[in-house]
Amino acid sequence: MPYVARRVAYLIPTWLAITLLAFFIAQLAPGDPASVYFERLNGRPPGRIELARTRHQLGLDQPVVERYLRWLGHAVQGNLGRSYSSGLPVTHELLSRFPATLELATTATLLAVLLGVPLGVIAASRRNSLIDHVTRGASLIAASAPGFWVAYMLIILFSVKLRLLPSFGTGGVNLLILPALALGLGEAGLLARLARSSMLEVLREEYVTTARAKGLPEWRVTWQHALRNALIAVVTQVGLVFGFLLAYSAIVEVIFVWPGIGALAVNAINQRDYPMIEGFVVFAGTVFILVNLAVDLIYMALDPRISLGSQTVPAVG
Amino acid sequence: MSDLPGPEHPLPSPSLHPVTRRQLIRMLGVGTIGASGLLAGCSSSSKPSSATAKRGGTLTVGADADGYVLSGPSANVGQYPLNANIFEGLVRMDPDYGIVPVLATSWTLRPPNTWRFTLRRGVRFHNGQPFTAEAVKYTFDLIATTGGGGTPGFAKHGTTIIDDYTVDVTPTFPNARLVEQVVHPENYIIAPGTDPVKHPTGTGPFQFASYQRQQQLAVKRFAGYWGQPALLDAITFKFIPDSNARLLALESGSVDVMLIVPNQDAADLQRKGFRVGASPVGAYEAFYCNISGKKGYTICQDPSVRKAIEYAIDREALIKGIYLGRAAAEQSMIPSRLLGPANAAKIAGYTFDPAKARQLLDSAGWTAGANGVRSKGGKPLSLQLIDGFPSPDSHTGVPEFIQAQLRQVGIDVSIVVTPDNAAYSARMNALAGDLWLEQGNQNDANPAFLPALLFSKKGLFGGSSYQTMFAPGGTFDVLINQALATPSEAEVKSLVAQAMHVLIDGDAIVVPLAGIERIVATSSKVRGFDNEPSQLQVRYDRVSLAT
Amino acid sequence: MAEKSALTAEAQRLPLAAALVERNALRRRLVADPTALAGLFIVAMVVVVTVAAPLLAPHDPNAQDVLNQFRPPSAHHLLGTDEFGRDELSRIIAGTRISVLTSLAVGAAILAIGVLVGTVSGLAGGLLDGTIMRVVDVLLAFPSLLLALAVAGTLGPGLFHLALAMTAVWWVDYARLVRGLVLGVKEQQYVESARALGMSGRRLALRHILPNIAPPVIVLATLQTARLLLALAALSFLGLGVGPPTAEWGAMLNDGKNFLDTAPQLMLYPGLAITITALGFNLLGEGLRDVLDPGLR
Repeated sequence: MPYVARRVAYLIPTWLAITLLAFFIAQLAPGDPASVYFERLNGRPPGRIELARTRHQLGLDQPVVERYLRWLGHAVQGNLGRSYSSGLPVTHELLSRFPATLELATTATLLAVLLGVPLGVIAASRRNSLIDHVTRGASLIAASAPGFWVAYMLIILFSVKLRLLPSFGTGGVNLLILPALALGLGEAGLLARLARSSMLEVLREEYVTTARAKGLPEWRVTWQHALRNALIAVVTQVGLVFGFLLAYSAIVEVIFVWPGIGALAVNAINQRDYPMIEGFVVFAGTVFILVNLAVDLIYMALDPRISLGSQTVPAVG
Repeated sequence: MSDLPGPEHPLPSPSLHPVTRRQLIRMLGVGTIGASGLLAGCSSSSKPSSATAKRGGTLTVGADADGYVLSGPSANVGQYPLNANIFEGLVRMDPDYGIVPVLATSWTLRPPNTWRFTLRRGVRFHNGQPFTAEAVKYTFDLIATTGGGGTPGFAKHGTTIIDDYTVDVTPTFPNARLVEQVVHPENYIIAPGTDPVKHPTGTGPFQFASYQRQQQLAVKRFAGYWGQPALLDAITFKFIPDSNARLLALESGSVDVMLIVPNQDAADLQRKGFRVGASPVGAYEAFYCNISGKKGYTICQDPSVRKAIEYAIDREALIKGIYLGRAAAEQSMIPSRLLGPANAAKIAGYTFDPAKARQLLDSAGWTAGANGVRSKGGKPLSLQLIDGFPSPDSHTGVPEFIQAQLRQVGIDVSIVVTPDNAAYSARMNALAGDLWLEQGNQNDANPAFLPALLFSKKGLFGGSSYQTMFAPGGTFDVLINQALATPSEAEVKSLVAQAMHVLIDGDAIVVPLAGIERIVATSSKVRGFDNEPSQLQVRYDRVSLAT
Repeated sequence: MAEKSALTAEAQRLPLAAALVERNALRRRLVADPTALAGLFIVAMVVVVTVAAPLLAPHDPNAQDVLNQFRPPSAHHLLGTDEFGRDELSRIIAGTRISVLTSLAVGAAILAIGVLVGTVSGLAGGLLDGTIMRVVDVLLAFPSLLLALAVAGTLGPGLFHLALAMTAVWWVDYARLVRGLVLGVKEQQYVESARALGMSGRRLALRHILPNIAPPVIVLATLQTARLLLALAALSFLGLGVGPPTAEWGAMLNDGKNFLDTAPQLMLYPGLAITITALGFNLLGEGLRDVLDPGLR
């Protein structure tokens, strides 16, 4: 119990650090944000007085620490400022596009699990067979190929050459397949390898050989005892995979013109939309640490043997 | 041409006042450039008559980035760069650059420098307000508060109401081109006292419905339009800056019209059954050389270097390879259709002659270095090419091509990409670049528009970085000022051609690359969309959707 | 991580001299392992191409010939030409240089920083350790690629900015691993006795700690190179990093995406190059891991 409490309390400094990170990144920006802001709004560069007025309006004439604290104060209430590009509130934009990213990440994770885990388990139970080698080879290649490139290869294969599936936009399951596949394949490879090595480790352990000695049929050994324990590691990894995909989907979203927050972030970077970049870092970071927390708690619930100082849990001390 | 009236539509609307016999003859008569230009431009006369065209439906248009200004007197939602047909001007321009009356029925130049417009009667704004001279004064006075008073040079107290349907406009400088300039959507008439951003209110065939910045602009048919009501019920303009996304919106059916089609996609769209049309040349691709010598950018001050650059570029290969043939080999910058062939011929342009380029650089003291890049006195011949206006997307392939061409003669070019208009402007204000890659559009019917705006010392917006970096002054300015002041149409074109000859052939400040055709793709159910060269005069009221 | 515990166990049992002898045996096992061998082969080829790129490229990778664009493979152009008529093969070869060298450079930088920070943190303990690990955790709490994207995008264009951004983001993996390993080794007998004898922290680190934590770090370094390569490709694809006309695999993919219909092969070659190179490093890394800790095969 104290572990959980500590874990949740630990979120706060981590979140603060993320806000610091986001703020810091925005300060790296070259050029004068006030000038950029004015120009975007009015279509012409500001005069000296207008520039001073805009700087004051945006609060840029205050010392850095004060600006950070003010921004932080707003961020805590959920106000992440206004986008330079669209003029709309950043939080609103992120929230309205988040479901699309969620949809994509969830489907990709599902695909990754459905493809990778069974393959990994089978490969482990039939060690050094053809399936094993093919799985290991395929997952290694999947881990070596750039995800976005795989996306384009899929597009070329299915959309251009075979004209089977539409490539872009939202609206319907068939439009979801390619981007989810592109995102999920790499992770499928990762999960396959992890499932395999987890299974192998577990299969070697004492209680399995004991179960065998007791005369239980092989399949029961595999599927009941080994699987359940091996999957614990896999489940936690799936949670992490999901968290990663939420963020890594950026490139896939850009390619497939999927209206999620990743595409929003990339566009913001291209357009030097600093409030959006800052807001995105905070938003995505928050989502990510929440997902990590959920994963840790699930892990704890699944395997009561694990308590403080588990090695697979992000280091606490 | 510019002082003759002409009818807007062959069939006068019943709300017009009874027509005098003289007006009737003029309406039915042909034989003036303006009237024949009208007939050529009015899409309803070259397509099946509007009586059989289908009514109704919502058209979705895929436009590129949202470039509307949202605050201050320059606010232009619905006007520029995307003309959503909410507003109308005193006149408009047909695809042959002829002037067509819209809200003004006639106009004359009263010496020394006052234009008297007679306004159309029976026109109402979308909010019910009657259109009168008051609205014209309101609009032009608003523009007068922006630096320079817009391209026509509206003066602070230069617009006077004579009576409800007569208004006098006296610009700040001798401006015989005013009527040609007010075809530009930024000079379109706004209803007095209305908020141009929240409630854009004009007299056009469509009225404002909603606007989400950078997402979309929606308009719907205005039933009380003074002319023939639009065929469509509504239009949604979606802002899709990424050309790939825009392409795919068209392919998937989420838009019916794709504005600004990249060359490499045109052939493919045609194969897929879309209608792909190229307008006559109405724009140009060129880069300008920074001759100011400020902020350390001094290399382009030497005319030999500029001339060498001109000779080093194989424009034919550019058109074939980068534009895939969809561009014209024009080097006049101003569309040759506007200047006329005789005048366009006054601008010689440059042949592809890398040997000559090298020779020019040699004699300017730039000696070839070991790595192929020339240097003089320890300084390498390195130039910065800024990509570009209006956006890098519009120049795909061109910067790398230029870079490779110039490298052949020993000039090292580094490409700086400005992601959007704001970034490009910011860089311009900082005067930070040697070569500035732009696509310029012939926005109005004034042949002197582009040279006056960009390259004359005074500029038309009260001076900007364009003037600092590119204005040659001297003969060029003299010619342009004359061009602006002369009432003779033939003389304008001749003077402008001479001025461009100075700018391009003489001073080599402008390096023209090609004449640009506007490519637009529509789905097969779209009818009546005419792709006119400026893209600012597109009329959606004659567009319809077949089922 | 299971592998970590196995390795530290092994490290605990071996004083330095014995470790050296063991290394030869390891080398022999490495060569005997097919995965590692395949990886080694690929990496060696890639290194050769990187070093000899200017000699190997049949044409100038930047020489344009726009009237010969999109040509299919021929005797003159083994992989055909791109949208500017440039020789695709030469560009792939030239791209090897930039992609691989940048990945290695960033890899070396993060190795140095990460090992330094991890060692200091592990040896020092206490508040310093705690603070450093908080920072590491925060950086790890955020997907590295996006962080690098945000930093590089904010800093501006150019390969240097990109490399800087990547370095700033990826050093944390090493720091975490090294700290854990150092903590494990720190408690060992020979380390304690060395400390008792008054050996300075730095000498301690160099002579006793680092050599014993080297194996897992080497494995990570190899695998990390693959990851950096992929990240570099992704970030270049998004327009960061090198500008035209420099040939770089990710940038080439970015150019090729406009021509999916006319010339899909322009997307194929750079992607294959990235995949094969990353595969090489991954295979080698996996092989090294197997050799150093065969239990997990």
